[in-house]
Amino acid sequence: MRMGKAQLIPVFAIIVLLIGCTASLYVHATQANTDLIDINGQQYTIDQLFYLGEPRTIASLNTTGIALDTLITNIGLNCPSCHHYTIIGKDGYQKTVTWENMKNGVLTHQQSVVFSDLPKAFRVKDVIRIEVN
Amino acid sequence: MKHKKLLAGILVFGSLWGFSECIIGSLLHDAGLPAGAIMTAVFAIGLLTISRVWYQQRGIALGMGLVAGALRLFNPFGGCYLCSAIAIMAEGAIFELIWYRLSLDLKELQTLTYQSSIGIISAYVVYVGGYIITQIFTPILSSAGFHLENLLVFLPNMFASGLLAALVGAATVPVLFSVKKLDITIKDRLYYPITIGISIVCWTVVIINTAILLWL
Repeated sequence: MRMGKAQLIPVFAIIVLLIGCTASLYVHATQANTDLIDINGQQYTIDQLFYLGEPRTIASLNTTGIALDTLITNIGLNCPSCHHYTIIGKDGYQKTVTWENMKNGVLTHQQSVVFSDLPKAFRVKDVIRIEVN
Repeated sequence: MKHKKLLAGILVFGSLWGFSECIIGSLLHDAGLPAGAIMTAVFAIGLLTISRVWYQQRGIALGMGLVAGALRLFNPFGGCYLCSAIAIMAEGAIFELIWYRLSLDLKELQTLTYQSSIGIISAYVVYVGGYIITQIFTPILSSAGFHLENLLVFLPNMFASGLLAALVGAATVPVLFSVKKLDITIKDRLYYPITIGISIVCWTVVIINTAILLWL
């Protein structure tokens, strides 16, 4: 028996709910649980990073933190402008940015990364890793 | 005449959608609530369904998305306005695609099961689809550029976040179909003043709101 359009609608709805439930379980099971921040393979606390970096304020966004470019320079990375940087949050959200973007970014004490030259979609909360690519 | 009426409908429902995204969406976002899922499942799906039921025309969702997205661009506060504008336009287009194959009188959706099912499908696919599209186009429009791996690793989270929208959507569409039974009609001579008046109010409030926030 061939299923009509109307009969298929509830079947698709069940499939959609199953996808949503499975994804929720997967996300819950794989969520990272750490307060340390890994930068290029080295782990730091937020206080250590605030000691290493230089303060920066983005007045237009009313945000203060440490400058991402000075942080990368002060951890001893060679040729910072030769790389891209991937900022990764605890929930898996990640954004890759250029060195020019890093010059306009801050890491706040709440472990969020904010850029003055990028849309808000580039804000990453609860940062746990900064990968140097 | 019919086309004029449809255009006025696109303008008023698109304006109401954009207005709700700018004002209510921003409030929900500031309150730390899942604004995206609630806005899509209640306001977007609600207004898109009402307009489709009322006008019984294809293409209205697509037009509404363009109007609402344009209005969102006028309000650069409360979340990412560029992302939101892209997401809204994409949501209108996705809703149009989902409902395109349904008949104009929506006779397939007579029972509560079918209404809830189409609510689940619409809210979930519209929300997740809009989310994915904005995660592609926002980086493309920025200086950082688009990186596919950033999208791929976050796909499970996007699929998971759509679950709330789907559950709310299961209630939204049946509620609107029950309102349809009230058979609300507007007299022809009042149709254009009402639709254009509501649209003007929506745009004015959003623009004034933006001006006040900029001034403060």
